[in-house]
Amino acid sequence: MAGIKALISLSFGGAIGLMFLMLGCALPVYNEYWPLFLLFFYILSPIPYCVSRRVVDDTDSTSNACKELAIFLTTGIVVSAFGLPVIFARADVIQWGACALVLTGNIVIFGTILGFFLVFGSNDDFSWQQW
Amino acid sequence: MAGFLDNVHWPEFECIDWGERRNTVASVISGILFFTGWWIIIDAAVCYTDQKDLNHAFYTCGVFSTLAFFMINAVSNAHIQEDIYGEGCLGKIGARLWLFIGFLIMFGSLIAAIWILFQAYIVPGNPVYPGLSVFFQNLFIFFSTLMYKFGRTEDLWG
Repeated sequence: MAGIKALISLSFGGAIGLMFLMLGCALPVYNEYWPLFLLFFYILSPIPYCVSRRVVDDTDSTSNACKELAIFLTTGIVVSAFGLPVIFARADVIQWGACALVLTGNIVIFGTILGFFLVFGSNDDFSWQQW
Repeated sequence: MAGFLDNVHWPEFECIDWGERRNTVASVISGILFFTGWWIIIDAAVCYTDQKDLNHAFYTCGVFSTLAFFMINAVSNAHIQEDIYGEGCLGKIGARLWLFIGFLIMFGSLIAAIWILFQAYIVPGNPVYPGLSVFFQNLFIFFSTLMYKFGRTEDLWG
């Protein structure tokens, strides 16, 4: 375990990211809750990589096709999470200020998720005990 | 005259060790391109809801491009070059045919997108953004396919 400090700072990062998302929805000047659909993308984003880690238990090779497909899909989910608020703003469903807040929250949350994988992800034996 | 550019080389990027991360970087770039292409067409669909501005038939180019992406990337390079003695319905020739058809569909969709751009938008003088979005969707998916197919090396697969 890489330590309690990393865990706390990642947790703080996640809270700040969600705070930005909620600000983008709940501020009285915006008051549109459409950006909450991004939570769906946040939850979905670690899944392909975790699935590929579980399915292909091959520590000899550096990479494999399943892992690369998982990275491709994860990148797609991240791009979609950035594209959706922009589409909302262009369709005048939310305001551009809300879009900017939500995009900032995106950056923070995906940074947190990435940090989580960098700090806690690289285990030699990735087994059920880790969970 | 024939070999006068032989000694010209790209500047060496010594700081970047492509070695083990090449496949990851190629997958990331490919993912960015592919999904950016789709979000461009989604944006056009949201902004131009009328069939007169963006005919719903024009979405088929992107659908076929995506189909071609999965067809092309379903066969590995090893499957085409070496003799695979395994189960599976496609042998070497079948895999080559699959890849050939995949590339046919990909190029066909790209050409169709360019055709749509010119015939339905530029020549009649309509606002050109929907046509450009169809074109860029297919162009991005095309480059994404190339990057995913050729940017990764199978040497790292062990």
